[in-house]
Amino acid sequence: MTFDLGMPLLAEVALFALAVLVLIVGLITQGNAHQRIGWLTLIGLVGVLGLTFVATEGASLFSLSFVQDDFALFAKRLFIVATMVSLLGSLTLRHSTFARRSAEYHFAILSSLVGMMVLASARDLVLIFVAFELMSIPLYVLTGFLKRDSTTSEAALKFFLVGTVSSAVIAYGMSFIYGVTGSTALEAIGPALADGSPLMVLGMTMLFAGLSFKIAAFPFHMWAPDAYEAASTPFVAWLAVAPKAAGFVAIIRLYVEGAGSTSLMWMPMVAAIAGMTIVTGNLMAIPQSNIKRLLAYSGIAHIGYMLIGLAAFSSSGVAMMLFYLVAYLFGNMGAFMVVEAVAQSESSDGIDAYKGLAQRSPLLALAMLIFLLSLGGIPFVAGFWAKLYVFWAAIERGLYGLVFLGAVLTVVALYYYLLVARRMYIETSDRTDPIPVPGLLGLAIVICLIGVIGIGVYPGPWVDMALRVASTLF
Amino acid sequence: MRTDPGTLALVSLLLPLASFFVLAIVAPFRRLGRPAAYFSVLCATGAFAAAVMAWLAQGESTIPTLHLWEWLPGQGKSLATVGVLVDPDSTVMLMLVTLVALLVQVYSLGYLHEEPPKGLGRYYTYQSLFAFSMMGLVLSPNLLQLFMCWELVGLCSYLLIGFWYPKPEAARAAVKAFWTTKLGDVGFLIGIVLLWRSAGTFDLTELHAMVQSSTLPLAGLSIITFCIYLGAAGKSAQFPFHVWLPDAMEGPTPVSALIHAATMVTAGVYLLHRTSWLFALTPDVLLIVAWVGAFTALLAAVLACVQDDIKRVLAYSTVSQLGYMMAAIGAGFSAAGFFHLLTHGLFKALLFLGAGAVIHAVGTNDISKMGGLARKMPITAIVFLIGTLSLAGIPFFGGYLSKEEILGAMWAGGLPGPFAVLMLVAFLTAFYMFRVVFLAFYGPSHVAASHGELVMTTPPDEGKIVHDQPGPHSSHLHDPPASMLLPLLTLAALAMFVGIYSTLIGPLLPAEAAEHAAPGWLTPSAVGVAVVGILLAWLTYQRRTINPESLASAFGPIRTAALAKFWVDDAFIFVYERVLLTFARVVGWTDRYIVDGVLNMVSAWTLTAGDDLRTIQTGKAQDYVYGVAVGVLALILWMKLS
Repeated sequence: MTFDLGMPLLAEVALFALAVLVLIVGLITQGNAHQRIGWLTLIGLVGVLGLTFVATEGASLFSLSFVQDDFALFAKRLFIVATMVSLLGSLTLRHSTFARRSAEYHFAILSSLVGMMVLASARDLVLIFVAFELMSIPLYVLTGFLKRDSTTSEAALKFFLVGTVSSAVIAYGMSFIYGVTGSTALEAIGPALADGSPLMVLGMTMLFAGLSFKIAAFPFHMWAPDAYEAASTPFVAWLAVAPKAAGFVAIIRLYVEGAGSTSLMWMPMVAAIAGMTIVTGNLMAIPQSNIKRLLAYSGIAHIGYMLIGLAAFSSSGVAMMLFYLVAYLFGNMGAFMVVEAVAQSESSDGIDAYKGLAQRSPLLALAMLIFLLSLGGIPFVAGFWAKLYVFWAAIERGLYGLVFLGAVLTVVALYYYLLVARRMYIETSDRTDPIPVPGLLGLAIVICLIGVIGIGVYPGPWVDMALRVASTLF
Repeated sequence: MRTDPGTLALVSLLLPLASFFVLAIVAPFRRLGRPAAYFSVLCATGAFAAAVMAWLAQGESTIPTLHLWEWLPGQGKSLATVGVLVDPDSTVMLMLVTLVALLVQVYSLGYLHEEPPKGLGRYYTYQSLFAFSMMGLVLSPNLLQLFMCWELVGLCSYLLIGFWYPKPEAARAAVKAFWTTKLGDVGFLIGIVLLWRSAGTFDLTELHAMVQSSTLPLAGLSIITFCIYLGAAGKSAQFPFHVWLPDAMEGPTPVSALIHAATMVTAGVYLLHRTSWLFALTPDVLLIVAWVGAFTALLAAVLACVQDDIKRVLAYSTVSQLGYMMAAIGAGFSAAGFFHLLTHGLFKALLFLGAGAVIHAVGTNDISKMGGLARKMPITAIVFLIGTLSLAGIPFFGGYLSKEEILGAMWAGGLPGPFAVLMLVAFLTAFYMFRVVFLAFYGPSHVAASHGELVMTTPPDEGKIVHDQPGPHSSHLHDPPASMLLPLLTLAALAMFVGIYSTLIGPLLPAEAAEHAAPGWLTPSAVGVAVVGILLAWLTYQRRTINPESLASAFGPIRTAALAKFWVDDAFIFVYERVLLTFARVVGWTDRYIVDGVLNMVSAWTLTAGDDLRTIQTGKAQDYVYGVAVGVLALILWMKLS
C-alpha cells in the first residue's frame, strides 16, 4: 500500500503522534508551559482536521473492520471541532495546579480523542470495545483533574465506578453476541437477529444498556451532574458533547447499520428510553441552583430528543439526529463557555451569579441568552430546527405520543432556561463592573454564536449534509 | 456592460440592504446624519443603476432567470426558497422602485434639512430598509418570500409614518396604518397557506406551470384567491381598508411620495398582476375585484373633492387611482392595471414631491391658506401642473394612455357598470385636482394671513422636532433648493416623455401593449369628461362664475356624507368598541380564570415533580450502580416480554 494523505487511520496515527509530542514537550519544558502546550495541541488539531478533509471516502482497513465512510468522517470532524472549542476555553484557565500538569491534561484529552476517532470508524465488536475504553479512561482522569477538594475526587470516583460497571455490561453483552454469531464483525448481527435467537436479543439489549450510560440516558444518567459540577468547565463543555456523540456513533453503527432490516424491533425500547430521559432531564433541571448541574440535566433531556430521532430508525431520523448533534454542540458548548467566563470572574457556578448580567456585560448576557434560546428551541436559532426536524422524522414513523411528550416538555425546558435569562435581564445586582472575558474564551463564544445563528438562519446546507451522511447507512 | 440580469438584480437588491445594515449597526456613523444620508443615497444610486442594467440585459434573454438557494429544506423538496425572479414585469417595477426611492432620498436631503442629525440618520436607515424590502417583494420568485417582504414594507411604512412619533397624530396614524393593513395580511397569509396545501408549492413559476397544464386543483380556489385579494386590498387601500391611507399623510411628505403613492400601496396591484393567471380561474372573485375597485375609485374621488389638506387630496386621489388599477385587473386585463401602476408611480410621486415643495415653502397643508403661488414658485407650479394634467389623463401627459387602456379594458371586459363609474371618476379627478391647482397656485394669496397661527401649531415641547409644517417661510416664498428641485424636474421630464411617447407612438413597453380593441368613441369621451372637469374647476375656483358654496350645497347630503368620510371610520370604531372589545373581554376572562388556572395547576405539579425526582439523585455511588443494574434488568425484561 502506497502512502497518501487520504489513507485510513492516518488521522488517528497523526493524532497519537501529536499526543506523544505533547507529552515530550511537557517533560522537557521547565515551569509553566500551559500556553505553549495548548497552542501546540490546537495547531496539531487543525492539521488533523485538515486530514479528515483529504481522506479518501470509502477506504477501509483490516478486512472492513475499520472503515472511512462519510459517516465516520462526519463524526470525526465533529469530535475535533468540539475539542478545539474546548481547548480555546481551557487555554484561559489560570489555576496554578492545573498549569504545572498541562501536558498531562492535553495528553489525556488527545488520547480520549483518539479513542473516539477509532470508534467512529470501527465496525468490529472488539475494536469498538477497545476504542470505548480508550475514550473513557482519560475521561475519568480528567474529571478528577482539578484536585480542588474532595468533591472532585468523589465525582471522578463515582464516574469511574459506574463507568466500569457499564463497560462490564457492554463486554458481557458482546460476549453473548459472539457466542451466537461466532463472529465479531457487525455484518453478522443483522442475520442473527433475524433468526430470532433470544440470546442475541439479550446480548444486544445489554449492549444498549451499556451504551446508554455513555450517552447518559435515563436511568444511566446519574453520573453526569456530579461529574459536570466537579470538573473544569471547558472540559465539561467537551464532556457533554464529544463522548456523547461518540456513544451515538456506536449506537448507530450497531443498531442501524449492524442490525439492518431488524432495526425496527428496537424502536419501542428506544422510544421508551427517549421519553423517560426527556421527562427526567427536564424535570430535574428545574430545582437546580447550580448552572452546571442545570446544564447537565438539560443535556440529559437533549440526549432524549436525539433518541427521538434515533427511535424513528429511518434515514431522515438518523440524519436529523446528526443535525441535532451539530446544533447541540454549538449551543451547549457556547453556554458552558459563558459559564466559564462568569465563573472566572465571580468564582461561582451558582445561578445567582447571573443576576444583573445584562447590565454588567450586555454582550455576554446576550450571547448566553442566544445559547439558551437555541437549547430551548426558539426560532431562528439552531436548536429550533433541530427539534423540529427530529419531531418531523418521528411523526413520519407514527410516533405521535413521543413527539407530543417531547413538545410539551420543551415548554418546561424553556421555563428553566428563562429562569436564567430572568436573572440576567430582570433582576439587578449590587455590582456594576463588567465581567472580563479573556480573548480566547471570547473567540470560543463567538465561534459558537456563529454556529448557532448561522445554522438557525440558514439550516439548508447542514440538513443536506446530515441527510447525505445518513443515507450511506441505509 | 453585459451581465446576467439575475446577478444585476441581486446586486441592486443587496445594495440598500448593505446600506441598512451599515446604518443600523454602526450607530456613531448613523448619528452623524448627513454622511449617513449621503451613504444611503449612494447605495440607492447604485441600486438604480444596477436595476436599469438588469432591465436592459433582461431584454435579450428569453427565459426568466431564477437565482435560488434553499432556505428551509424539507424532505424531498425544499419548503421554502429564497431567490430573485427576473422577468419583464419585475425588472420594470424594480426600476420604478429604485428610481423613486433614489429621487425621494435626494429630495429628503433638502426637505429634512432642519432635522437633527440623529433623526436624519434614523430616517435614512428606514429608507434603506424600505427600499430593500420593496425590491425583495418585487423580485420574489415565491409567495412566502413575497409575504415576508410584504410584512417588512408594512413595518417600514409604520416606522416612517410615525417618524415624528412625539406628534400624537403621527403615532396614531402609524398604528392605524399598521393594523388596517394587517387585517388584510391575515387573509393573505391564510390564502397562501391554503394554496400551498392544495398545490404543494409557494413557487410562482411552478404554480403558473400548474395552471397552464390544468393540474392545479380548482376546489376551493375561489376562497384562496379571495384571501389573497384581501391582502392586496389592505395594502392597496381598497374599500373598506382605505381608511389608513389618508391618515398616513402624517409622515414626512417624501415618505408619502415614495411609500404611500408610488411603491408600497401599489404592491397589492402588483401582487394581483403577478398572479393574474391564478385569478383568471376564479371569475367570481375577479368580479368582486372590479366592482370594489370601481366603488373605491368613486368613493375616494368624492372624498377628495371636499378636502382642504393638499396631501389628503393627493392621498384620496391615490386611493382612487388604485381603485382604477384594481378595476382593470378585475376586468381581466391586469397588464393595463400594471401599466397604469407604472405611470401613476411617476406622476403621483411628482405631485407629492411638488406638494412637499409647497408645504416646505408655505408652512401649511391647507390649500385655503395658499393661493397665488405660481408667481413666487414658477417651477414648482409648472411641474405640479404637469403632474395634474397627467393624473387627469390629458393627451401628451403621463397618465393619458394608461387611463385610456383601463377604460378600454373595462368596456372590453364586458363591465359597463364599473365602466360608467370610472368615467364619472375621470371627471371628478380632473375637477378636484384643478381645484387644488387654482386654489393653491392662482388667485389671491392667503399666505401672509396664516403666518401667526402657524407658529402656534408647533407643540412647545418639541422644539427640536421638525414638523411637516417646517415653519413659515412666507416672507421669502421661492422655489425649493436644488436637491429638491432636481427630483421634481426629473420626474416631470419622465412624465412628459412617457406621455408624449405613448400619445404619438404607443405603449412604451411591449409587455403593456393593448390587448383589446377599444371602441373609437372612447378616447374623445374620456378626454372630454376630463376637460369638462377642468372647466368646472376653472369656472368655480378661478373665474368664480359659479359660487363654490352654492355648488357645494347642490350636493347637500353627499357633501355632508363626504365630510364625515362616509362614516367608514366610524363603522370601524363601532365594530372595534362594541364587537371586538366585548369579545376580547370574554376571551380575556376565559384566559385569566380557566386557561391560566389549568396551566397554573399543571405547572405547580411539574415543579413538585421536579423536586420529588430529585430524591433519586442521592449522591451515593452505590445507588448509581443500583440504577444501572435496575435499568439493565428493566430493559431485558422489556425485550423479553415484548
